[in-house]
Formats: sequence, C-alpha cells, structure tokens
Amino acid sequence: MPILIYLFLLVCYWLSGFGILTLFRIRLKPAYMVTLALLLGVAVASFVPFLLQLLYIVITGPTVFGAMVLVTLLLNIPSFLRMRESGISVFTRPFGPVRFRVRPYEIPYWLIIGFLIFVSVWRCYYLPPTSRDALSGPETIAEYTVREQSMINSFFGLDLSSTNNQFKSPFLVSLQVIYKLAGFPFGQVWLSVIFISFTVFLYHFLRERLHPVLAGLLLLLFMMTPEIYAYTFMILYDYSNMVFFCLGLYFLWMGLSAGGTGSPPHASVATPGSNNSSLRYPGSPAMISFAGLLLGIATYIRSETLILVVLFLPVIFWAQWRGAAGDRAKASGDNRLRVSGSVLKKMALTGFFFLLPSLVGYYLTVPLYVGHYLPVHYDVGGLVNNHLSDWHPLLQRYGDIIRQLLLGTFAIHLWGYLFYITCALFVADLVFVRRFSREARFWLYAILLTYLALGLLGFVFPLFNLTETTKRALFKIMPLLVFYLANNELLLRLSRWLARWEISRGGKVAVAGVVPGGAVTTKGAPATGRLKAAGAPPARGAGSGSTKGTPPARGTGTPGTSPARGAGTTGKNDGSSAGNSRKKNRKK
Amino acid sequence: MKVFILTLISSGLVLIVLNVGYYREWFNAKPSQYWFDFLKEKDDPGDEVAIKKTRYGIVYTISMRVKEVVEKKNMPHAVILFEPNSYYRDSLKIYGNIRAPEPAVFYYYTGLQGVWTNSPDVKKANFIVRITKNKGVTLDEIKSPQQLQRILDGFKKYPPIL
Repeated sequence: MPILIYLFLLVCYWLSGFGILTLFRIRLKPAYMVTLALLLGVAVASFVPFLLQLLYIVITGPTVFGAMVLVTLLLNIPSFLRMRESGISVFTRPFGPVRFRVRPYEIPYWLIIGFLIFVSVWRCYYLPPTSRDALSGPETIAEYTVREQSMINSFFGLDLSSTNNQFKSPFLVSLQVIYKLAGFPFGQVWLSVIFISFTVFLYHFLRERLHPVLAGLLLLLFMMTPEIYAYTFMILYDYSNMVFFCLGLYFLWMGLSAGGTGSPPHASVATPGSNNSSLRYPGSPAMISFAGLLLGIATYIRSETLILVVLFLPVIFWAQWRGAAGDRAKASGDNRLRVSGSVLKKMALTGFFFLLPSLVGYYLTVPLYVGHYLPVHYDVGGLVNNHLSDWHPLLQRYGDIIRQLLLGTFAIHLWGYLFYITCALFVADLVFVRRFSREARFWLYAILLTYLALGLLGFVFPLFNLTETTKRALFKIMPLLVFYLANNELLLRLSRWLARWEISRGGKVAVAGVVPGGAVTTKGAPATGRLKAAGAPPARGAGSGSTKGTPPARGTGTPGTSPARGAGTTGKNDGSSAGNSRKKNRKK
Repeated sequence: MKVFILTLISSGLVLIVLNVGYYREWFNAKPSQYWFDFLKEKDDPGDEVAIKKTRYGIVYTISMRVKEVVEKKNMPHAVILFEPNSYYRDSLKIYGNIRAPEPAVFYYYTGLQGVWTNSPDVKKANFIVRITKNKGVTLDEIKSPQQLQRILDGFKKYPPIL
C-alpha cells in the first residue's frame, strides 16, 4: 500500500510541477522537464500541510491527499483549458525532442553513481531520521502532527529551552507528515526524489557542455563530497536548500543570457504571442521570475537565503542596464550608459518579480508562522550581534571559512577534493587562458557572493556558527563549483579535443569548428545538432563549424553533447567559442 | 575502437577517483559499508522498534525502559527528571558512551514529558533517571518537593548541556 501511495505522490509531484512549468511557459529538454517538475512538485507538496495548518484545517490523510490533488488540478487549469483546442499535445508539446543517447563510456560512471544513489535511497527508506536538529524539532513535530492532526501540538508544551529547531521552516514537517500519513514510519523518502532529480539534472547540464567522459567525472566528484552525500539520506534543510538555490541561479543565468541576441542554448521561454527573438534586452523576465520562484522555495526552506537572493539583484539590474545601453548605442552611436524611463521601469518590475517569491517564502515561515501561529515566542532581533561596528569578527569569520572549512584536512573530509580541483583549474585558466566566458564569470561571481554572504550571516547572527551552520550552508557553493567547472575554458578545450578525436577518422582530428561545450559542427551547419549540407547559412553566434567535407557522421554530430547546445548561444564575447567563431562574431 | 578506448579511460578515471587519497578511505567506510549493511538488512529487516533501537542506540533503549516502567506503575502524569550531561562528563566520566536525552527528543521516543534541571517545569518532576557506574540505570520516584529540591541542589554545579 505505501508503494502505491508513493507512486501516487510521484504522479502528483510531476503533474503539479509540470503545471508550474507550463504557467511560466518554460520549455526544456525532457530530462530537465521531468526532473524539474518532480522537484517543483515536492516543493508544492511541502506547502500543502502547512497551508492546511494556516487555514486551521485538520491534518489527516484525506485532507492532505485531497488538497494535493486539488492543488495539482488547480496548477494545471491552463493546460486543461488549452486541451480543448490542442488535445493531449498540451502535455507533450512543452517537452523538447528526445535525443539522449547512451554511450558505452558513460556506463562506468552510471554504475558507480547508480551504486551511490541506491545506497542512499535504501538508507533513506530503511533508517529513521537521526540528526539531533531533526529529532529536537521538525521530526517530533511531524510525528505528533500525525497523531494530533495539527502542527501546533503537544510538542510545544515541552521544555524547548535546549533547542530552536521548532522555529525552522515547516518544509520538513510538511513532507514528513505526508510520508508518515502515506505509511512510511520514518518519512524521509521524499529526499530521494530531490536527490535523484537533482543528480539527473546536473548530469544533463554537464553533458550539454562537456564530453561525457568529463561530465561523468565531474558528477562523480560532486557525488563523492562526503558531507553532501550524507545529507542525501539524512533529512535536514540544507540539501534541499542547496538544490533549489543552485537551480534558481542556473535559471537566473538562463534568464540573463536569454534575449538580446537569442534565447538560451537549451531552454526557451515562449512569451505569449511572440517567439523568443522578441526578447529584446538581456534578461528574459519570465525566466528570471522562474529563477525567483526557485530561489523563493530555497528561502522557504531556509529563511536566511533571502539575503543571498537580494544580493543577486544587482546582477539583474546590471545585465538589463547594459543590454538597454548597448541597444541604444547601436541605434544612435551613443556609447554612454543612458537608459530610458521605460527600461528603468522594466528593470524594477523584473527585480520585483525576481524578489517577490523570496519575500513571500520568508514572510510565510518567519513573520506569519513563527510570529503568529506558533505558541512559543522567538525573538529574532535578540539574536543579532550587538557589536556590528566592530568588523574584526567579520574578517575573522571569512578567514575561518577558508582555513577551517575550505582548506585543510577537515575540508577534505567534508568536500573531498572538489574545492581543490576547482581552485587548480581556476588558477590554470587564469594563468594560461587569461579570460573567462560570461557564464564562467557568472558562476565565479555566484561563488564569491555566496561566500561573502555566509561570512556576513555568521557575523550578524552569532548563532550561525562556523562548524555547523556555516558548514552546511557551504553546500550551496559546491554545485556552483561544478557549474563553473562546466565552463572552465581548459576543460572545454579538452572536451572539444575529445569530441573531435572521437569523430575523426584514422586518428586525425579533422574538424576545426567547435561550438561551446564541445559540440562539433561542419561548415555551414547549424549548431542545432542536425548537420546540413555545406553552404547552408551558419547558425547565429554558435561558433559555426569550419571543416569542409567532414561527413555528417551520425545525425547529431555532437558526441556527448546535447544537440540543442549552441542553438542560439549569444555568440558575442562568450569566450568559450572556438577562435573562428569569435572572429566571425566580432565581424558581425 | 575509439569508443572502447574512451570506455577504458572513463573506467580508469572511476577507479582512480575511488582509490585516491581520502576518497578511498571514505568510500570504504561509508558507501561500501552501507552496502554491506543493506545486504544484512534486506534479509532481516526488523520491525520499527528494532530499527530504532539499532539506530538511536542506548539513549533510545533507556528511554523505552523508562516508558515501560512508567506504564507498569500506571502513572499517566509522570514527569521524568534527567541528570545533567555535564555531571556524566565531569563527575562520572561516562559522557560520550551515554547521555541524557533532550526533553524534545525524549518526547519523540516515548511520548513522556522529560525535564532538565533548569527546565521551567522542573518542579513537576516526579521521577528521576539515575545512571551510576555500579547500578546502571534506575528510575526512582521523587516523593516530595523537598526531595526534589535536594536533588536539584546537588546538581547546581552541573549545568545541563546537550
């Protein structure tokens, strides 16, 4: 019976997540759509018992599962309405073409990663929650919610002076309640949905940019970060927060790189009544709002994420400002950074819709739930450092994060060698290549900002200690390292070399034109993965290939990389295009 | 042939990662060990209580024994006082092997109300869990407010810690 309910929940997640993706008109490759839909579905589910509580509705099996079905239906109303016109294709159209091909050299990675996933899932299912933070807060609240049908239950009548875990987000409580009601005494198994979905998402992301040999290696290095792996079967907030935070930044990048000269390489936002080329300024509002939604979920899971989200606002404003000024310069020859009032209005609106979900996520969990619903009082103001003018502890904290958490033996026990490898490749890029692509710069900026924000949080809130809270908050940086590595120029070159070598005949590398991420095209071929005959117009800004006579060997012509990659990369100053592409783009 | 070479390369990279430095130590101690645990657990899954006993260890076992005794004595309003963990650490030197649960965690295990010596509701305590090196764990009844006060005075120099 629990298995049936588990499957039912998966269907609910998928449909509700799909509904959200449809509302934002986001079209992605199926691997992204499915994994994102599941992740969003888990997030939606985590609101359901919480909302029932806010409305003072008793939390029972029928009310919770009924509400989940209702929410799923509500989120899919636009799809149902369109179904009358377009039929069932409403549910299939948002998916891009399925072109995933398994190559034998991916299998060793899949085996070991599959092993790690299996072990994690089993422990999630079999072993009860063990962390003290869970037991002294959300897990106990969830257990008594199931017994007493309310999240405000007898737990709050206890002496809670030894813990503050009762004040943390209802995210964990809600999901634990759902799974306990479903017949899983220890709950937890929802974490595996998040873990697997994110892993698959990350693999596809890496495969789009790098040769599968390198993509698999990077994913394996990420999976083998000991501390993060432990949290794939030990329920707490940090792993889920990391997932939604990093996905939020990923879509923020997509939103920023969209528009202007084209849509992002492997995703698109279909605005009503227009195509992607209508996105004029860098900064696709729908995609950025979607990024804001994901970051809002991250804030709902851990409220201090709000500070990080706010710190990313300048990136959006800067990108839009530059985009608008660039267009103006093109039109009038005026190179000064001046933009009109309408652009300022658009910037304000984009920023507002980016920030709104995080504000809502924060408001729901802290001022509303903790402030007005919980029977115990929590004085957040009392937790603030009283000596904010003394910056010495701030600098000390930044140093401690580096010394204790990122470098040294303890850091290796936490993160394996991922941080060291990233540093080495970053320095190599800095020394040998001396330039970074826009995307690489974005991820480096994200890493730096996260590091600075975490130090600041530790300074402002002394309770945000180094070896526990900051350590777990550093989870957020680890996928960002992987995102950066996927844009490391040296790795990209190695990836392209592997790709060329693989498709070349007789051991000679015969193809010279390579699009960012290792996709190889022949001359005149569009970078959409389908090879056309020579003479066809090159794909815009995609680093169009330059090798005459190279046979279109296998349909996609892009070993290990998604065909969709490069289908509209901005093409200007990306820095990761092959030399020929850059020259051509400069001429353009 | 090239695909075969690349397969060899990726296999080699996997083996290198699994055998290099701390990764080797961690992989053997954690995922591999978890796998061997799985092989045992799948054949003998055990019930919920057995799993909890294995997982939560001695603290859970003590808590459940306390629950049994209280149920036998038919005391619906039992409030259990725990000795401070600093007493186990500084006096008995047994902290690490054993520790008193937090009231919240004890409630999760047993559904009973537990208090520490600094809890607001400590005056309601009518049982105390004592742990000694000789007698092991005992549950003693607190019969009067004076007795409770004497107990609390005895622990004044041992502040409760996690």
